[in-house]
Amino acid sequence: MPPLLEAKGLTKRYGSTVALDSVNFEVNEGVTGLLGPNGAGKSTAIKLFLGLIPPTAGSAEVLGSATFENPDSRARLGYMPEHECLPTSVTASEFLMYMAQVSGIPPSQARTRAADTLRHVGLDEERYRYIGEYSTGMKQRVKLAQAIVHDPVLVFLDEPTAGLDPDGRQEMLSLVERTARTFGISVVLSTHLMGDVERTADSIIVLESGVVARSGEVAKLTEETETLHVEVADRRDEFADALAARGVRAERRGDLFVIDGAQEDDYDHVRDAAVDAGARLKRLSLERLNLTDIFRGRPE
Amino acid sequence: MAQEGEVFDLGYQRYTGPREGRNRARIALFVNGIRTVLGIGRGGRAKIMPALLFLASMAPAAIFVIILVTLSDTVPGAEGAADQFVPGPGDYYSIVGFILIIFSAIMAPELLVPDRRENVLPLYMVRPLTATDYIAARCLAFFAVALALAYAGQAVLQVGHVLIADNPVDYVRDNWLDVPRIMLVGAAIALFATIAPLAVAAFTSRRAYASIIVIGFYLLSVSVVEPLTNEICSSTTTTRSSDGSVVISQEDCSVPTGSWAPYVGLLSMSSVTDNINSMVFNLEEEFASPAQEARDELNDAWPIGVYALFTGLPALILWNRYRRMRL
Repeated sequence: MPPLLEAKGLTKRYGSTVALDSVNFEVNEGVTGLLGPNGAGKSTAIKLFLGLIPPTAGSAEVLGSATFENPDSRARLGYMPEHECLPTSVTASEFLMYMAQVSGIPPSQARTRAADTLRHVGLDEERYRYIGEYSTGMKQRVKLAQAIVHDPVLVFLDEPTAGLDPDGRQEMLSLVERTARTFGISVVLSTHLMGDVERTADSIIVLESGVVARSGEVAKLTEETETLHVEVADRRDEFADALAARGVRAERRGDLFVIDGAQEDDYDHVRDAAVDAGARLKRLSLERLNLTDIFRGRPE
Repeated sequence: MAQEGEVFDLGYQRYTGPREGRNRARIALFVNGIRTVLGIGRGGRAKIMPALLFLASMAPAAIFVIILVTLSDTVPGAEGAADQFVPGPGDYYSIVGFILIIFSAIMAPELLVPDRRENVLPLYMVRPLTATDYIAARCLAFFAVALALAYAGQAVLQVGHVLIADNPVDYVRDNWLDVPRIMLVGAAIALFATIAPLAVAAFTSRRAYASIIVIGFYLLSVSVVEPLTNEICSSTTTTRSSDGSVVISQEDCSVPTGSWAPYVGLLSMSSVTDNINSMVFNLEEEFASPAQEARDELNDAWPIGVYALFTGLPALILWNRYRRMRL
């Protein structure tokens, strides 16, 4: 089975400006965070995968097909843009029915799809109101709803929490998680907010100045930062010597012993060192850095 | 005792039904275009303008039919006179041509401008559609409405003619050739009224600008071309009557100016469809202006060529505009 998305030598230039420079990556099922500062090339990458713009070189394939050359392949994609994109003079229900049909769903099914999707995003009661009367949070939900009304395989969400207050942001992230976990729609979440990715994503692709700075599964990235935190109640110097005698390199921060890149047998070494030193073990915990710490650099 | 029911909310479901792809998307765009022009599915205010313009374009036909029926019912032997007074299908198209342009100038921008101004276009283009699909569906939608408008008045008029005829069957047999002519000229007028206003709307950020440009260009072309092809003059004659008194009379006259006048006359927006209409219905205009008379001297290929230019060029510009649009 081909990956959901595949960039092969993907390059996009606007005149002399290089937006993406021979980028290679794959996106598989689940939630993928596309991270990077403004101007890193995130929106360009999304537009290339959606077939809105042609690549200068290389290819952007979705489910094994180039969307720019093959419009039919977009039938199973969804897109929630960052910018305002909703007509103001129609009701949400009318708009979603229409968008379902524009995605290839027959009219007889489009009404049901529109109702189901609006219920999913929490706009069931408001569906007959004109979109122009909606709040920012409600408009964001309509934008999400139109992106999934045709039940796509993959949906691109471009800054879905932009302009939302903290409660609205949490609700939107919950919706994104539910869309991916419960309904099995894969998500590419483009954002510059690490917290959004941290909460929802299984894997990340970090773009910086048009190149992939880092990519991988979130679990593996954080696994690399695993540290074992050990605290003993007394005889700390003896405990430090016992650890060193067993070949365990531990950094001492006050009462705390920090063991970087802890391995399975380090747990046994800690236990045995405590016995040897006659120290009482107070705390033994595995800590991981979060993505924010990783990209900010490890704290002192 | 009635059984108790239970309501289950199944919530969002995966879709397992049919997917009809690009053709369904095109049809949806077309149907939405018609609904948008007519204000269906929108607030009451969106329906007022299309309804008024629809009524305005139907009004001449309705008025003529009322006169036709009233005269034939109340004045014995008036059928012949009424029949002479009420316009034929070709004359009717001459009358409603301008109304159709006004309708198009006001309603056509509704199809393109809001989609661009409200940034809805990217939502279409990420679906199984191309820019060509989009603009073709929008054009066809407006063409369908304009065609309905052109034919509706004619239908009313023709029904009136049949109703008043001494023998309706004879009337239909004698005039059946009018049907394909009505279809052809109606389609030509509707196409012209569709393409040019949409091409203008493709470049404006507000609907009102597009309407003003189309109506302004129409009126400007008429008001510039007519003086170029006509020379308004007056002749004064002095005569002496039998009783010896002197009578001075002044008469307005109008003559075509030079051999190039017929060609300049072709550039008037009003003449683009009028010429096709005159050609198909073989109209001999009783009150034709010198410019019209001069145009009649030209080979038929000229008006056809001008029509093709005035519809083909805007169509090309329109298509190119959307094909090159970067979202």
